[in-house]
Amino acid sequence: MPTTTSSSSFSSAASSSGNRQADVFSRLASSDPEVKLKALREVKNQIIGNRTKKLSFLKLGAVPAIASALSDSECNSILVQSAAALGSFACGFEAGVQAVLDAGVFPRLLRLLTSSDEKVVDAGARSLRMIFQSNQAPKYDFLQEKNMEFLFSLLNSENENVSGLGASIIAHACGTTVEQQVLCEAGVLEKLVILLDGSLSQREACLESLATVLKNNPEAVSRFVGLEAGRYLSSVTELTKDRYPRTRLLSCLCLVVIYNTSPSYFLNMGTKSSLVTTLLELLNDPGQSGDEAALGLSSLIAEKEDLQKLAYEANAIKNIVDILKTGSELHPKRLQGLFLSLAELCSKLEDCRCSFLSLEMLDLLVNALRHNNADVRTAACICFRNAARSVKNLSAGRFTNDHVMLPLVQLLHDPSSSVQVAVLGALSNIVLDFSSPKSTFIEYGGIKQLIELSKSMDPNARCSALRALRNLMFLADNKRKELFYSEVKAQGFVSLISDPEPTVQEQGLALLRNLVDGCINSIEFVFDEEGLILDTVGRQLRKSPQAQMAIQGMYVLTNVASGTELHKEAVMQQLFPQPQAESNNFMLKFLQSHESQLRSATVWTIINLISPSSPGALDRHVKLREEGIIPQLKNMVNDSCLDVKVHKRS
Amino acid sequence: KATSKKVITREEWEKKLNAVKLRKQDMNTLVMNFLVTEGYVDAAAKFQRESGTKPEIDLATITDRMAVKKAVQNGHVEDAIEKVNDLNPEILDTNPELFFHLQQQRLIELIRQGKTEEALEFAQEELAPRGEENQAFLQELEKTVALLVFEDASNSPVKDLLDISHRLKTASEVNAAILTSQSHEKDPKLPSLLKMLIWAQNQLDEKAVYPHINDLSTGQLEDPPE
Repeated sequence: MPTTTSSSSFSSAASSSGNRQADVFSRLASSDPEVKLKALREVKNQIIGNRTKKLSFLKLGAVPAIASALSDSECNSILVQSAAALGSFACGFEAGVQAVLDAGVFPRLLRLLTSSDEKVVDAGARSLRMIFQSNQAPKYDFLQEKNMEFLFSLLNSENENVSGLGASIIAHACGTTVEQQVLCEAGVLEKLVILLDGSLSQREACLESLATVLKNNPEAVSRFVGLEAGRYLSSVTELTKDRYPRTRLLSCLCLVVIYNTSPSYFLNMGTKSSLVTTLLELLNDPGQSGDEAALGLSSLIAEKEDLQKLAYEANAIKNIVDILKTGSELHPKRLQGLFLSLAELCSKLEDCRCSFLSLEMLDLLVNALRHNNADVRTAACICFRNAARSVKNLSAGRFTNDHVMLPLVQLLHDPSSSVQVAVLGALSNIVLDFSSPKSTFIEYGGIKQLIELSKSMDPNARCSALRALRNLMFLADNKRKELFYSEVKAQGFVSLISDPEPTVQEQGLALLRNLVDGCINSIEFVFDEEGLILDTVGRQLRKSPQAQMAIQGMYVLTNVASGTELHKEAVMQQLFPQPQAESNNFMLKFLQSHESQLRSATVWTIINLISPSSPGALDRHVKLREEGIIPQLKNMVNDSCLDVKVHKRS
Repeated sequence: KATSKKVITREEWEKKLNAVKLRKQDMNTLVMNFLVTEGYVDAAAKFQRESGTKPEIDLATITDRMAVKKAVQNGHVEDAIEKVNDLNPEILDTNPELFFHLQQQRLIELIRQGKTEEALEFAQEELAPRGEENQAFLQELEKTVALLVFEDASNSPVKDLLDISHRLKTASEVNAAILTSQSHEKDPKLPSLLKMLIWAQNQLDEKAVYPHINDLSTGQLEDPPE
């Protein structure tokens, strides 16, 4: 700022503006309608476009004052100005929406729609539309008949703002499948598509609401595509080439919804390809359209290898990285979308991963880990997780240096659980780096933190933490296992594998499998505290567990049974506990399972139990025959799973 | 290497041109489109009367739009803002860049009038928050505030801001935003056609020697240089 100014000038500026605001605010309450009207207009003109003013007038209590002006007056000019002012407070400003709703003026705004004065109707419709664009908008009960009637009366209106309001209500308030059904059956699709041929704002409102009604609803999609033999699907596709970026974006998002719901309508590769390229182009739009395009792109290519390839060939990675590198402050939504898109691109294609990692992106990604928005941090972690699937880059040590590891490990403490789960996913992959003898992760106290997280309230976090530990302990040496044992004793471990969530139990058992794998000493863990862990595993296996859990459980037994005589006998104890009046022969069930991995794991256990090199093998063989296990094995000579066959033969 | 371009004489060229058929109503539509988009209401109304060409939008809406444009062109920015908000309050609420440029113009006008105190106050109260809300504006903001620093702003590095052309630029921006909100195309067709002409001539230059139109305002055919 120029040096001629002094601080007193600043404070006088601040206080004089404050005075002006207080002055106009007091005039709002005037009983003289002329004065009131003038004050309303003044406030309106001050706040439009000006977030700072909206906030300061809000704090003064302007919203309730304007709401009273609206409610108490019948004069059209006052109605127009106050509705416009309220609409502006609600425009893209959550605190404003809250204040307007709190002032209880919503019903009054609705009544404005029936006014004979077109300007009053316009003002009312606009304000309501602003409110409905917010998450705080009142729930609209589509299931009530009179609400549906009202909604359709809006859609049928000649007034562009009013029909746009109708579409907006649908776009933002329709949430459930039931609501989608009810709307479709009432003929909302037929009404909405008329708006496609209307003005710009009508088209855009229509596209938004179509996306909401069709989302994840194959019936609704089929109904839409059936309208006039696919004419409207073509219209929407045409609109992806429209001159206005927002129209292109909204039509793309609509098509993404349709594609994700019913891909069969997009057999033509050309349409898929142009959808990808249009979204990629929109990424460069500096405004809101670009923000939403990024999320749209990630949604489109998610889980779809063919589209990921298309995007890769259309230079998506380079484009996205260039945008990220521009250095300007990008909106968190855009960052999230861009990182998620990169993550999707790297999810299955090694070329993408290598390409991405070769572009000096790691610094940017690491910075994103420190972003103040949780969604951005989560997206960056997912990006790391997928990029780390590249064995080549992983073993080149790209991810295991301090620069990357430290911020990742720090995120284990992140207040947001979605970030925690995401970083656990990333770490799970990174700790699989076999090439480095020492692990930075472990040095940073990673094991302790993972164990902490395995006790989280969030089952996803528990599951992911155990998965990371499982990977960490894969082919681990005793030193590393010791780090685990020093923190978790038998009793503690038992609670991990007894978790109420089956997926968590499964990871716990998988971790155990890796822990007892390796040298014979590793096996001792299951015998601690009088065989607490082994007993628990046995008990769980006898309880008819889900296939995935059973697989891990049996591999635990396989590993234990590979040990000493004592170990093998202990396993036999678990398989056939005495006394058993009725033999709950789960081994037999497993051998007959549909899951080939389960059959395989069970066969491995048996092999280890009867391997001829150990003294008690014969007795165990006899016992197994008595229980019908050996005969069952003979039946499995031609098992469909090659693995089983081979084991069986040996 | 000698160019082997085809040579077309003036006579041949004019003959070819005459063979191209144009419809009078297409030209009328173009003219009307130009008048309407640029906002020449009276001319558009008269042209409608004289030629029978229908304007593509209601001429009444043009009047409102023109009032806004004129206000900016005359430096009455606050008045222009009020008019835009009366026309459609959403325009400035959803167009941060436009709003910033209008505020910037307001500041420029205050400086031009020599109202330094008021300008400073305005800069601090109105423009600084815009810069805080959106970093993209900071650079332009700094440039504008720099006007206050120089003793003789009209000879400073930022003197372009004081130029009348800057008002016209802002006026044009507002005009375009209003047109868009009314679902009307913001650019007239005529300039695009002329650009097409120039492009086509450039393309043809690679293959032929022929009479050019070098002065768009007269449309005169000029013989090619020897």
